[in-house]
Amino acid sequence: MSIMDYNGGALIGMKGKDCVAIATDKRFGIQAQTVSLDFTKVFQINPHTYMGFPGLATDIFTVYEKIMFRKRLYELKENRKISPKALASLVSNLLYENRFSPFFVEPMIVALDEVTLEPYMCDMDLIGCVNKSDNFVVGGTSSSQLYGLCEALWEPDMEEDQLFETISQALVSACNRDAISGWGAKVYIIKKDKVIVRDIKTRMD
Amino acid sequence: MYVKREDWIPGNFKNVPDTGRSTQNDIVQHGWTPITTTTSVLGVVFESGVALAADTLTSYGSMACFQNNPRILTVNQNIIVAAAGEYSDYQFIRDIVEEKVRTEKSLNDGISMKPKALHTWLSRVLYNRRTKMKPLWSTFLVAGIQNDVPFLGEIDKLGTAFVDDQIANGYGAYLALPLMRKAIDEKREKFNSKLTKDEAVDLLKKCMEVLYYRDARSHDKYQIGIVTKDSVEIQNLVLKPNWEVAKLVQGYE
Amino acid sequence: MDTIIDRGAPKARNFEPYASNGGSIVAISGKDFAIVASDTRLSEGYMIYTRKQSKLFQLSDKSVLGCTGCWCDTLSLTNIIQSQLKSYLYDHNTVMQPNSIAQLLSTLLYSRRFFPYYVYNVLAGLDNNGEGCLYSYDPVGHCEKVNYTAGGSSGVLMQPFLDSWLGNRTTDNPVTEEEALSLVKDAFTAAGERDIYTGDEVVYNIIKKDGIQTGVVQLRKD
Repeated sequence: MSIMDYNGGALIGMKGKDCVAIATDKRFGIQAQTVSLDFTKVFQINPHTYMGFPGLATDIFTVYEKIMFRKRLYELKENRKISPKALASLVSNLLYENRFSPFFVEPMIVALDEVTLEPYMCDMDLIGCVNKSDNFVVGGTSSSQLYGLCEALWEPDMEEDQLFETISQALVSACNRDAISGWGAKVYIIKKDKVIVRDIKTRMD
Repeated sequence: MYVKREDWIPGNFKNVPDTGRSTQNDIVQHGWTPITTTTSVLGVVFESGVALAADTLTSYGSMACFQNNPRILTVNQNIIVAAAGEYSDYQFIRDIVEEKVRTEKSLNDGISMKPKALHTWLSRVLYNRRTKMKPLWSTFLVAGIQNDVPFLGEIDKLGTAFVDDQIANGYGAYLALPLMRKAIDEKREKFNSKLTKDEAVDLLKKCMEVLYYRDARSHDKYQIGIVTKDSVEIQNLVLKPNWEVAKLVQGYE
Repeated sequence: MDTIIDRGAPKARNFEPYASNGGSIVAISGKDFAIVASDTRLSEGYMIYTRKQSKLFQLSDKSVLGCTGCWCDTLSLTNIIQSQLKSYLYDHNTVMQPNSIAQLLSTLLYSRRFFPYYVYNVLAGLDNNGEGCLYSYDPVGHCEKVNYTAGGSSGVLMQPFLDSWLGNRTTDNPVTEEEALSLVKDAFTAAGERDIYTGDEVVYNIIKKDGIQTGVVQLRKD
């Protein structure tokens, strides 16, 4: 079993019409043993910028802190909020600096640009190869299941409510076919005037 | 050291009786790796029959060992077979197939084997050998006429068998198959018809030339076997390569 | 093949008796029908052998078997099943019922427990009451009766999709034939986007009281 599958987890980002969504499961485990049920892997970087971190739990925090450090330096120097695109480069650079002893996380960025409110979404591999997406990004131990569901359920220009239904259905159904993901879920719908956070009930086995 | 089962002491981790799969332990050396090998074979279906192409080189590692080893077999007036891979395994199969045909002829009932039957039979022979972990390290193309319809099928060393209108293996799958598919598709799109016999033979000649340029285990002497409803013929051919292209390959000095 | 117990085996063993030839199966059963579908791509690694190899095998006028995995094992297994069914027909003058075929298949697979047929099977049919029935297998003969299933290289992509549509169905809201067919098409279209071993075409068989209806749907060819 790969070190990427040590703690388990599932994450999705999805684009809608003038809004984006990111969803995470809440399980934290050590291989097959579930340890806690409130481990969300999504962090707010800026008011409209969110990041999800599938991968090794210990590296999630390390990478998150390192990103926040560099992001704050950037914002102090530039005296403006970082754009999602610049954030993607920042994270990609951070990961590639550790090309030969990588952090075992595959971050995703789901955001509305802080100035233009343009939706932006990307994910990357553990050494920072950025994959920009116009529909959805998936990550974690149930990424195959998520790909199958997102390819089938996603459609362009979804409104907020439909986006929520789709992303929740995809996450819940994928987690039900992955032994080390699930145990509750959290969905963030990012709109220009507010961010809606909802907890989802799932099977607890 | 092998210990008999009755000597085994429970809880003693040393000298545990061997529980490995029997097939793993009694494999004989024969057939583990191919030694005398041949390269790609190509096959293409045209409107009234099927054509196969294969060169006559048998390699011994990187040595071009035997330069006149034909490997397209005329089975009967209805079937031809071409082989790639270990040449001795082809000879082994050839002898059995020839024996089958002799037996069949001696019945004198006017019935002869059809290509689909030989295709299935070969797939069973190769599958049974792979199941014994003593594979025949060869790939076969079977071509013929099955009830007035051209037939072309492949069987690999595992017994993986399938039928298609154009088949190539080895380097041919990378270099020749795209050319063959392109020619067939273009003919179908432009004229809504299959290749003619002459077009198919010209296509195979072009493919053999392309393979000769880039496949280091290929050869300029080759055969094309053609089976149609009324005839089987095998042509012995020599490539006339055009090495003008060599001048265009630059930058490796 | 990586075996757990490998003592005494020669190190330079380089013959691999199995190949992974790709392909996927989806099957859904309903009140008076069963639908089973496969793609038609036969491949190994990055090589496509052929784009028109159906992986469905009709065993009788009301049962169809779908097989993916190692194609040479599939050929062998289906040949053995078909000859066994013929013997049964000649011995009993009756076509074997799907539930009996299901048990036969399990026994056949388990007979090769220590050198398995590397084949994932899905058996679809109509049972004695004319209702759709579906059996899903692992390569060594574990058999489970299910209402819907997805297997093969894209099984992991398609199964949760089917779960989300069919997982919570009750008897007063059974899946219709039209819905089942459109689910099959959607599942394969989605899988074809992300799985290189699934593509080219989908062939489906709808098994009903008055016969088996077949059809073809085009998929991505790249």
